[in-house]
Amino acid sequence: MELINLSDIYKIYNVGGEEVRALDGVDLTINNNEYLAIMGPSGSGKSTMMNMIGCLDTPTSGIYHFEGEEVHIMDDAQLASIRNRKIGFVFQTFNLLPKASALHNVEIPLVYANIRKEKRIDMASKALKDVGLEDRMHHKPNELSGGQRQRVAIARALVNNPSIILADEPTGNLDSKSGHEIMGILDSLHSNGNTIILVTHEDDIAKHAKRTIRLFDGKIIEDEISK
Amino acid sequence: MGSLFFENLKISLSAVFANKTRSILTALGIVIGVLSVTLMGTLISGLDRSFESSMSWLGKDILYVSRFEWFSDMEWWEVRNRPRMRTEYVDKIKEKSKYALAVSPVMQRGASLSYEDKETRTEIFGTNEEYMETISTDIERGRFFTASEDKVGARVTIIGGGIKDAFFGDEDAIGKYIKIDNLKFRVVGVLEKQGKFLGLFSVDKQAILPLGAYKRIFSKRGWMRLSVKVPEDKIDEGLDEISGVMRQIRGLKPSEKSDFAINQTKAFETQYNRLKIAIGGTGFFITLLSLVVGGIGIMNIMFVTVKERTREIGVRKAIGATNGMILSQFLMEAVTICLFAGLLGLSLAYVSSIFINKIFPSTLPLGLSIFSILISMVVGIVSGFIPAYKASKLDPIDSLRYE
Repeated sequence: MELINLSDIYKIYNVGGEEVRALDGVDLTINNNEYLAIMGPSGSGKSTMMNMIGCLDTPTSGIYHFEGEEVHIMDDAQLASIRNRKIGFVFQTFNLLPKASALHNVEIPLVYANIRKEKRIDMASKALKDVGLEDRMHHKPNELSGGQRQRVAIARALVNNPSIILADEPTGNLDSKSGHEIMGILDSLHSNGNTIILVTHEDDIAKHAKRTIRLFDGKIIEDEISK
Repeated sequence: MGSLFFENLKISLSAVFANKTRSILTALGIVIGVLSVTLMGTLISGLDRSFESSMSWLGKDILYVSRFEWFSDMEWWEVRNRPRMRTEYVDKIKEKSKYALAVSPVMQRGASLSYEDKETRTEIFGTNEEYMETISTDIERGRFFTASEDKVGARVTIIGGGIKDAFFGDEDAIGKYIKIDNLKFRVVGVLEKQGKFLGLFSVDKQAILPLGAYKRIFSKRGWMRLSVKVPEDKIDEGLDEISGVMRQIRGLKPSEKSDFAINQTKAFETQYNRLKIAIGGTGFFITLLSLVVGGIGIMNIMFVTVKERTREIGVRKAIGATNGMILSQFLMEAVTICLFAGLLGLSLAYVSSIFINKIFPSTLPLGLSIFSILISMVVGIVSGFIPAYKASKLDPIDSLRYE
């Protein structure tokens, strides 16, 4: 089933009077339960691509459908709502709120979805259990290891049952052992039916994905499906 | 949106308490603002109370006819040649006025009172038998002097409750002799205790004697006023009439200015209201100033907070917070600081009011307390709005990248 459809997407910035085409006519379709890696050197448009798919940004021109919804014409509030309901973000730097416990960090998307307190705690505890952190729920981020923090972030991404999980260099700040653990979790999420989109410049990480696209100068130059 | 409200409250409280010193310093302007407005209110309420009780002692329905106005814009040279009040006016007013219910002449001077080895300096009043109708104090024990006692110049006196306590303690004062400037007077009555007039002088330390005796012993030509009691619902008519009667007594032509004054407690009220406006105005100005300064402080610290938490804002937006949700979060934070500041100011005001109350009776007005808390919240909203709006408009992508 078709989940995401990007059609003729342009993102053009004006930097010091000079036109920069961060995305230069991109067409991309992502289906349900895909495991996709977006690769490319820095400046290739990788981050813009991720922001576009993650509904953090809207295209200068082009059409973006997310499960049939027209993202390219949405306003700020609608974008916030679609991010809240359909997208789970995992960042390189974890981006947890330092003063909040693991449980509360995972709860926050549910607060914005206006879900009742009891239900929030149930859902957040379950998500933390799913990433193996049931005994760390009341720890603050600075009391957790890097790998554990990223697992909290994954739980936060999962808690709303999103349509896609968007992971931006998820292992970039981790040692290789923790990185392996995190990739293991993402792999198992995929085998449970989730759609995963990885943004990375490391081949080792991209190998976990079943499909790899390569960007260069804002264009898709390679779209490869591995066995 | 209940869950968002509690989330915001939680964030606000943790932000305020995480930066305790900063919050307190930021809040100082608001604290001072609330403190000044509530203390000013306390002061005015206390003044009101003592003013009212003092005014009730004077009586609204009494006209005080005398040489000079109590409060006047006139120059001294315009009024200094006015003739004195005379005892004969009493009978003339009674004869010609239909509104005058009681007329009593009052002369006053300082004198030394003594009983056995006890001595005190105080004010003595010479008056007639209708005096009691023109004051609100009652006789606690004994009686007032009679018209015939006045006529024959009997040496009797009615003393204030304070003198009675000082001279006689628990003993009965009636029938005892005290000395006024070394002349013996028999105590026939004791007045009820009243407390201080406007907190200035005590009416409990007076002695009242018949005018006949007063004039004979102390002075014939002292300062005198006439207290005229008129019906409570006919004060203005009474004023006009007494004024006319006085002009007639003085034989003034219609073109001539009155050469006497008729004073009313209203004059005190006017004067008092001016004082109140001065105090209130000063308080209002200080409050306004400190609230503006406090508001700027809040705004400043909120800008810093937004800057410090740019990344957090980015994360919150990425996981689904709308602009409105971010706005409400930071607005709430500003309001929370102001609310704490308001409560702090109010508790300081409460503690101070306890001390003020020991000096003169006053209370912290409840309405004003609630008002001051509301005002501090309004300051929070007003000064927090621009920083919160700025936070809400931050671009999520740039914010996530912010170091």
